[in-house]
Amino acid sequence: MPIVEPVISVEMPSGEDVQIVRRRFQGSAGPGPRVAVVAGIRGDTPEGIRVAHELCAFLGQHEAALSGTVDVYPCCNPLAAHRGARRWPFFDVDLNRLFPGRQDGHPPDRVAWALSQEIADADQVIELRGAHPAFREAPQAHVRHRDGKAAELAMGANVAVVWARHPGPAANSTFAYQHPGTIVLEGGCGNRLTHGVGRDLREGLLHMLSMLGVVAEADLPFHWAALQRPQVVTDEEVVRVRTSRGGLFLPEGTPWQEIEAGQPLGSVVDPVTGAACEEVVSPVSGRLLAVREQPVVFPGSMVGRVVTT
Amino acid sequence: MTVVFRMEAPYRGAYELHRLSFGSGSPSVAIVAGMHGYELTGLHAVNMLATALRVSRPKGTVHLLPLVNTFGADENQKRWPFDDQDINHAFPGDPAGTAVQRIAHALLEATHADVCVDVHSGAPHVRELPHVRVPMGGEEVELGRKMGLPVVWRRPGDRLDATGLVGAWRQAGHKAVVIEGGRGGTLDTQHSELIARGLGALLGHLHILPAMPGPGVLADVTHSEVETHRAPFGGFFVPEVKVGQRVQAGHLLGYLQAPIGGDRLGELRAERPGVVMTLRAYPMVHASELLVRVAGIPQ
Repeated sequence: MPIVEPVISVEMPSGEDVQIVRRRFQGSAGPGPRVAVVAGIRGDTPEGIRVAHELCAFLGQHEAALSGTVDVYPCCNPLAAHRGARRWPFFDVDLNRLFPGRQDGHPPDRVAWALSQEIADADQVIELRGAHPAFREAPQAHVRHRDGKAAELAMGANVAVVWARHPGPAANSTFAYQHPGTIVLEGGCGNRLTHGVGRDLREGLLHMLSMLGVVAEADLPFHWAALQRPQVVTDEEVVRVRTSRGGLFLPEGTPWQEIEAGQPLGSVVDPVTGAACEEVVSPVSGRLLAVREQPVVFPGSMVGRVVTT
Repeated sequence: MTVVFRMEAPYRGAYELHRLSFGSGSPSVAIVAGMHGYELTGLHAVNMLATALRVSRPKGTVHLLPLVNTFGADENQKRWPFDDQDINHAFPGDPAGTAVQRIAHALLEATHADVCVDVHSGAPHVRELPHVRVPMGGEEVELGRKMGLPVVWRRPGDRLDATGLVGAWRQAGHKAVVIEGGRGGTLDTQHSELIARGLGALLGHLHILPAMPGPGVLADVTHSEVETHRAPFGGFFVPEVKVGQRVQAGHLLGYLQAPIGGDRLGELRAERPGVVMTLRAYPMVHASELLVRVAGIPQ
């Protein structure tokens, strides 16, 4: 049985407690690494939370055969998840911009601090997300640029793409930058569950635990040879496609379909008359990594990401 | 009034960034408000200043941008409502980027001036006494003092909106300060008037307008001279003071009580003489939340 413990309790003004919970699976098959699997840092990522729960179900059935420890944090922003919102309510802050947090700060700051402490001595950290609510995305793993060890492990994540990303301006305040070698898994459609994506990410997660020596290969409920072999890309190989007009974007593509340079990704129409304003085409040949699902766009809104081939 | 940037918007009229310019030549001042849509006290203050400038002959240039985030203001939102992005996190911006990046770029381009001021309010759950935030040293400290706002708060550079508009201005070599006053989502006309008088005093100090006094500095403090009271536990906070009130050591600032039943759980008392600069407005509070700031006044 896993040990279920609160990492931190947040006392609400009205008196109740909100807990961030850790489910610890301690193997007895032999020594092994400690892996932290963290989901739901934003409240609009139910796909990651689902994968965390499916992982717990597997680990619960195979706990004695594990080598090492797997700590699963299935939902780190419960108040936001409660309302399907991205940010921690009331304070209206993005938990994924508060790391490493503050021990004496407001509740989301303290949660960020507690999570940072939790993962400090982990051997491997894996963050489970969902796609941005406006997009549908192919399953993908994000690692830091030039982190060869993480990229090598992420090759087993059963995703379409391993994206080695340069840090953006906000990188230092994100969860993924609190521990070297963190791998972020995401895909599907924001704020909902996507058929097939949860299974892909779950199998990729189990396979990585197998690669780390925590889960015995013989216990995997699939054969590793059936998993996807991802393409490794850097920022330069991921092209963002934007609209030049505002209106309603009507997409034509689906994630991971092949696309030629000049091929339409969709069109922008006037939201009142329906008249066509712009045909948005891919500037490069490749595959669609993300497609916009939320149709309202301003000039400059991103409507797709294309991985060049 | 000039439209310095225009962007079509689905389902509604185009977004326009308006600038009111007065006078010409040097020195130049740019004053921005309403980047966060629900911060309306600064908007009103800048419009009060515009009214005064219309009947004066400025010796120099004054650019006023009273309301950057018009769409946010329409909806009582802090951020740009379309994609829920904070314009103040989009600097230096990008003319070919997302909507907020385009606005940020246009705003920065429209406000190159010798002295730049960004006017904000507190969050909707706190009320701020109008004060100016300046770096720890340099010319901006003196500019801030000349405004005569009730509090001058000297802060380390990395605490002075380093990644926002003020940071972008300073990166571009302009002198830049932040004014903060009032409460998000509401209009406090007395605070607007204080801010307008402070801005007028700044223009007087720069000889753009005839010299005029600011409201008067009550406290000139560094971070360590600001007494911060946080909630030791969650509960219902009842204030016993108002922003701008002078207090002595031991003065009862407020108390926490149980939200249901009203049992008194604890009291907050001033530790030293000062002026109440920040006061919690929304009474339901979590542990560790900011309740009161007192800016110290030497005896």
